[in-house]
Amino acid sequence: MNVYEPYLMTIDDVIDETADTRTLRLKFQDESVAESFDFRAGQFGEYSAFGAGECTFCIASPPTRRGYLECTFKSAGKVTSALRDLNPGDTVGFRGPYGNHFPLNEMEGKDLVFIAGGIGLAPVRCVIWNVLDQRDKYGKVTIVYGARSVGDLCYKRELQEWSERDDVTLWQTVDPGGETPEWKGEVGFVPTVLEKAAPSAETACAVLCGPPIMIKLTLPTLKKLGFEDDAIYTTLENRMKCGIGKCGRCNIGHVYVCVDGPVFTAAQLAALPPEY
Amino acid sequence: MSETRFITTQALAELTAELLAAGTRVVAPAEAADGAVDYQVISNAKDVVLDERMPRRSLRGFFQPPTEQVFTWNRTDSGFSLKPVDLSTEPWVVLGARPCDAAGAAAIDAVMNGEPKDDLWMRRRETVTVIGLACAAMGPGCFCELVGKGPADTTGSDILLRPAQGGYIVEIVTPRGQAFVEAHSAKFTSTDAEVQAPPKRYDPAPMDRIEAWLEANFNDEFWQELSLRCLGCGTCTSICPTCYCFDIVDEPVGTSAGARRRNWDTCQVGLFTLHASGHNPRPEQTNRCRQRIMHKFYIYPHRHDILLCTGCGRCVVACPTGVNLPEILTGIAGRAGEDTTMGGPA
Repeated sequence: MNVYEPYLMTIDDVIDETADTRTLRLKFQDESVAESFDFRAGQFGEYSAFGAGECTFCIASPPTRRGYLECTFKSAGKVTSALRDLNPGDTVGFRGPYGNHFPLNEMEGKDLVFIAGGIGLAPVRCVIWNVLDQRDKYGKVTIVYGARSVGDLCYKRELQEWSERDDVTLWQTVDPGGETPEWKGEVGFVPTVLEKAAPSAETACAVLCGPPIMIKLTLPTLKKLGFEDDAIYTTLENRMKCGIGKCGRCNIGHVYVCVDGPVFTAAQLAALPPEY
Repeated sequence: MSETRFITTQALAELTAELLAAGTRVVAPAEAADGAVDYQVISNAKDVVLDERMPRRSLRGFFQPPTEQVFTWNRTDSGFSLKPVDLSTEPWVVLGARPCDAAGAAAIDAVMNGEPKDDLWMRRRETVTVIGLACAAMGPGCFCELVGKGPADTTGSDILLRPAQGGYIVEIVTPRGQAFVEAHSAKFTSTDAEVQAPPKRYDPAPMDRIEAWLEANFNDEFWQELSLRCLGCGTCTSICPTCYCFDIVDEPVGTSAGARRRNWDTCQVGLFTLHASGHNPRPEQTNRCRQRIMHKFYIYPHRHDILLCTGCGRCVVACPTGVNLPEILTGIAGRAGEDTTMGGPA
C-alpha cells in the first residue's frame, strides 16, 4: 500500500441532517482493518468518491463506537456532490486517521462546555459521544448549539436524546428569523446564549467549532466567563489534499493544520498569523 | 568522505555507454529539439551535454513527474477493485546534475521522508545515484552562494565531477557514490590534480536574520510591494528544484473505471487554498507571494532546518515581470538591519 491508497468502505447508512447536509455511516470492507482500526476524537480523514476525488472531513462518530465511521458534510463542491449521489451499498475510499486529537485524558474530571454552530457540530459531536460513553470520567456536560434556522440543525435525533438526559444541559438556539412557530429553544446568536447559559469556568474546558465569525465572537464571551485561552479547544479545517503534511497548502504560518492540528487551543490560535 | 579520483572525458562517455548497454536508466542534460538543454532520459551517450549551459528545468520531474498515477480503480458487476501502481524501481543514474538541482531534490527529502513516508517520491530517491557536475561558470540568474550553497556544492550528489584539464576530478561524496566508483573502477584513476576555484558572484546572505524577519513580519507592507508586479502565473514554482506542492485528482474513464493521479500544483493560484464554502485564507496575490517566500526561507527552515532554495536562479530568468529572489533577499536583509552589499552582478 502506498500512502495515498485508501481503505475501501461500504456505505452502510445515509442520514439526511438538513436539506443540504448528509451523514454517511461507513464500514470497512476488509475485516482485519475493521478490527484493528483505531482513532482519537478530533482526528480527520480523506474520503473518496471514486471518479470525483477526495475530500477532507473530521470523523464525526466517536472512537468509543467501533465497527463503523461516520462523516457529515454539506453538498458544496464536486466531491461532496458526488458523495451525496451515492447510496447504501456503494463503495467509497477512506484514508486516515490523520492529525492530532482533543486531549480527552487531560479533560477527565473536568466540566465540559461544548459550543457549536451549524455543521461545526460534527467534530464536537464526536467528542460529546466519546464523553457520554464514558460518562463517569467527566464532570458537568453543557452543550450550546446554534444554527441559522430550525431546518439547519444537524443531528436532530441526537439533540432530542441529549435534551432528555439529566446528565447533559443542552441549549439550542437559532438565529433571529430562523425560528418556527413550534420552536421551543432559544432565538439568538451563540455567544448571547452562551452568556445566558453561563457555565462555570472553574475546572472546566470548552470545545468550540463553527463558522469563523461564530468562533471570533464566542471567544470574548468565553473569556468573560473566565475561561483561559489554554482551556478552550477548537478544530480548524483548511483545504487539504494529502492530509499528511506533504502537499503544501494547509499551513498557517509554519503550522500545518493536517499534522500539527486540526485541534488547537485558543492560545495557540492567537499566536498564528491571520491566514485561516 | 573526501576521496578524489580522475575520469577522462573519454572514459566518462564510455562509462555512460556501458550503463546504457546494461539497461540502466540514465538522465542527463541533452539538447532538446529547439537547441536548448534539458535533463532528459538518454538513449545515446553522445547526446550528453556537460557544458556550461544550465538545463531549462530542474530535476524535480524525474523524482515527482508533473502527473503520475497513484492507483486505478474498476467497478464491475462482481464488485469494486483498486489497483495500486507498481512501486518497484530499478537503480538509475542522474549524470551531470547541477549542484543546485542535486541539493534541491535532497532538500525535499526532508518532508517526503517524514512519517508517513511518501513512497512515490522516496522510491525514486532511494534508487538513484546522482553524479553532480560542478559549474565552471555562473549562469545569468545564478545566486547559489547567496543561499549558502555554491557552484561546487556536494549536497545531494553521490559523486561530484569537477571540470579539469582533459576530464573531471571526481569527488566521492557518499557510500553510494563510493560503491558506484568501485563498480566501475577501471574508468577512474588516482589523481593529484588541483581543483580550480569555482566561480564567485555573491557572499552568503544573513539567512538567520532573514528567517527571523520573516517570522516577525507577516503583515509588513513589503508583501504588498512585492506582489504588485506578480502576475500569479506560477512559472517560478514550475521550474524550481525545491518546489514540491501537489494536487490529488481523479481522472474517470466513463463511470466504471478511472485513475487517481498526483499532479504538480502551485501556491501562486487562488484555487490552491480555496475552501468549498468560498472562503479563501489566501485570497490576494499578496498572500500568495508571501507564502512562496515564507515557505522557502522561514517555514521550511523552521520545520526541517533546511532552506527551500538552492539559488539555481531559474525563477529570476523565467519571471515575465522580473520578480527577483536575490533582490527580495537583499531587501529583506536590509529591513532586518543588515549590510545590504552582498555583491552580485555589476
